[in-house]
Amino acid sequence: MEIDALALSLTYQFGTNAAFLFLSALGLIVILGMMNIINLAHGELMMMGAYAATIANNQFGLPFPLAVIVSFFAVAIFGAILELLIVRRFYGRELSALVVTWGISLILGQGTFLVFGPFMPAIKIPGGSYSYGGFSFSEYWLVLIGISISLVIGLYWLYRYTSYGLQARATMQNAEIAKALGVPTNRVYTLTFSLGAGLAGLSGALLAPTSTIAPFMGQQFVAPAFITVVVGGATNVISGAVGSSVLLSAIKTPIGMAYGAFLGTVALLVAALVIIRIMPDGISATLQKIMDRRRARHTL
Amino acid sequence: MNNDNQSDQPETDITDGKSSKENFGPKITRRSFLQGSAAVSAGIAAPIYLAGVSKSFAAKGGAVKIGHIEDLSGNLAVYGVQKDHGAQLAVKEINAGKTLKGGPVGSGGLGSLSNYAANPPIMGNGDKDLKFVNDGGELTESGMAFVEDKDVLVDSGDSGILGREVELIHPDGQSNNNIWQQLTRKLIQEDKVDCLVAGFTSAEREAIRPIVDQFKQLYIYTNQYEGGVADSNTFCTGAICEQQVIPVVDYMIQKFGPRVYTIAADYNFGQLTAAWTRAFAPQVGGEIIGEEFVPLSVSDFTTSIAKVQAAKPDWVFTLLVGSNQSNYYPQAAATGLEYPMASTVNMAQGYEHRRFKPPSLNRMYNCVNYIEEIPTARNRAFVKRWYEMFPKDPYIGQMAQNTYFSVHMYAKAVRIAGTTDQEEVKRAFESGLHLEAPEGTVFMEPSTHHCSHYIRLATADADHNVSFVREWPSIQPWWLQRLGVNLVRNKEYKQYIPDEDPFFKS
Repeated sequence: MEIDALALSLTYQFGTNAAFLFLSALGLIVILGMMNIINLAHGELMMMGAYAATIANNQFGLPFPLAVIVSFFAVAIFGAILELLIVRRFYGRELSALVVTWGISLILGQGTFLVFGPFMPAIKIPGGSYSYGGFSFSEYWLVLIGISISLVIGLYWLYRYTSYGLQARATMQNAEIAKALGVPTNRVYTLTFSLGAGLAGLSGALLAPTSTIAPFMGQQFVAPAFITVVVGGATNVISGAVGSSVLLSAIKTPIGMAYGAFLGTVALLVAALVIIRIMPDGISATLQKIMDRRRARHTL
Repeated sequence: MNNDNQSDQPETDITDGKSSKENFGPKITRRSFLQGSAAVSAGIAAPIYLAGVSKSFAAKGGAVKIGHIEDLSGNLAVYGVQKDHGAQLAVKEINAGKTLKGGPVGSGGLGSLSNYAANPPIMGNGDKDLKFVNDGGELTESGMAFVEDKDVLVDSGDSGILGREVELIHPDGQSNNNIWQQLTRKLIQEDKVDCLVAGFTSAEREAIRPIVDQFKQLYIYTNQYEGGVADSNTFCTGAICEQQVIPVVDYMIQKFGPRVYTIAADYNFGQLTAAWTRAFAPQVGGEIIGEEFVPLSVSDFTTSIAKVQAAKPDWVFTLLVGSNQSNYYPQAAATGLEYPMASTVNMAQGYEHRRFKPPSLNRMYNCVNYIEEIPTARNRAFVKRWYEMFPKDPYIGQMAQNTYFSVHMYAKAVRIAGTTDQEEVKRAFESGLHLEAPEGTVFMEPSTHHCSHYIRLATADADHNVSFVREWPSIQPWWLQRLGVNLVRNKEYKQYIPDEDPFFKS
């Protein structure tokens, strides 16, 4: 009984760790992975999502799932404004964009602190818990794992099968030619940044019940988000992020369980280092290479 | 504690008709020193400081400058702003001619702190003006008589400090240790502050303490911390491990059982507090069955929660710091973790019981020297004054109260010294100074520069209502004494760590 309970608990921990990494990285996948903007305001966009959901839920009494949807749109609109006013002036200038988004993050964090004060009352975590063999599991985290999987599928569908997805991929590959072919690249940039911001807001809202709602809460997500996206690589951002969150979680979970949170975090960082050393372009580039090779072998 | 504790002051009270003067100590002291004199505090213990007190009332030398650094922006602003407000409130009150009751204790030690000790103790039954408590602190028909001040804020008989206005210079430390160092240099060298009150984390304190020592600056550290600082220039007014860890560990082992699981923040505060627990738990029959140190950046506690469940403790000692780590509570509650918890940091600083939805902090026990919910009349008066000045504040935390009374304590020490000369004021701080703070009586222990505190064991129920299950009216900061530290005789500028005491060798 003990062994299977432990195995179940490890599986659950693996799932929540992977979902946490994936949700942290969600908005950044689009903004860093596709647009190559090093968005240091990523955490603050997640914070805005959490605030939007908290206000919608606590002040306006919206049910939590609706509040999450509201916060997606709220942060997406904010992202569009941000892109139109500021970010679009910095395409192709990665370091300038880095400094600018860092400045934006400071303004957003401290601005929120001045307007809303040090803390917001939290949202209660929806759902109860199951227990089995001495371990128990939060229903909400199980739902989050499910949501993460459907978000992966949704994103894949969006970029693979919609005309926006086609235009976006074309623009990211070669903006000049895409423009020459009649793709409204400016609009694609605005939409993509807005989508990335909205997704950051969405995951901020989804993680809000598990977290302290505070002006600087976003910072906790920034490091995992960048590690996940960078380890994943830019060749195919979606498969990269999925691959890296699964792989990193598979390393972190057993070590964390056996040796504690500190060594779990160390293991995650070491794994990220090793992966980047072995696969400098990230997991997705390696996956792509393997697939290309296999395809080449088949065609021969 | 109980809400009906506030009784009118009984006839034995000696404040009769003299409310314009500060009220302290035995009657003889009042009569001989307070008549018409501006001397605000003059105890039998400190006659050397009396010279010139009555003359120094005339305003001279401009404002008395109190430098105050806390984090008003950045990650630690949630605590820094509270403390900044505490300093502002105290300065406002000092400038308005108010002070907290208190003064040098005199030869009688702590027993003579109370305003009523000058008279013989009253034992009786059914006296309409007196209330009685049993040993557990509950109201009874007979037993130990007690009285309570309605408020401890009284007229100081002074305007500002020694007739000089108090100016608070309070820059923003921005949660950045380098900026803390720059600001400390600026406050000391350019602003030439008479007193520096600063510091939230131990890292901030250790960043600025060498600068403080270089300039022999009078420095007050108002935070609860891991203990051990023995510094001739530094006075620590927050509670330390022997005042918080030992009472709560003792209580929890008695009430819930011996198997303890510690989960602590992975830096010096968490490590050293866990070391205290490890050393002390066996002495009261406890056993540490698991220990985990969590980096400050961690905010997903799934694995830690599973580890607690695998260990099956009787209760969990959570020493989690910062807003990331307080995520542990809602996550543990959602996972169905229902072990009783104890802490020395949560609730009283970051008001987790107000922020998180019940029942995340159900059965949380915390030894604190202050928490906003303390039901005494003096604390309610303090809370009222606070929210009159800062109506938008979300909570008054433990350290905010510490800062508040520390500034008042500084004013008192200057009045005893009769000058703002920092060496003189340091000696006045070493004169056995006590103060009636909102928490209760605090006493600046001269040899170690730490305060005794009124410690309460607060607990939150399933609806996050706070109640108090036990209290200790005065716990001494004894650990440095045990190590033989005596700053009155020997100057020191270091921080002791538990490894230097065989008590912690295991």
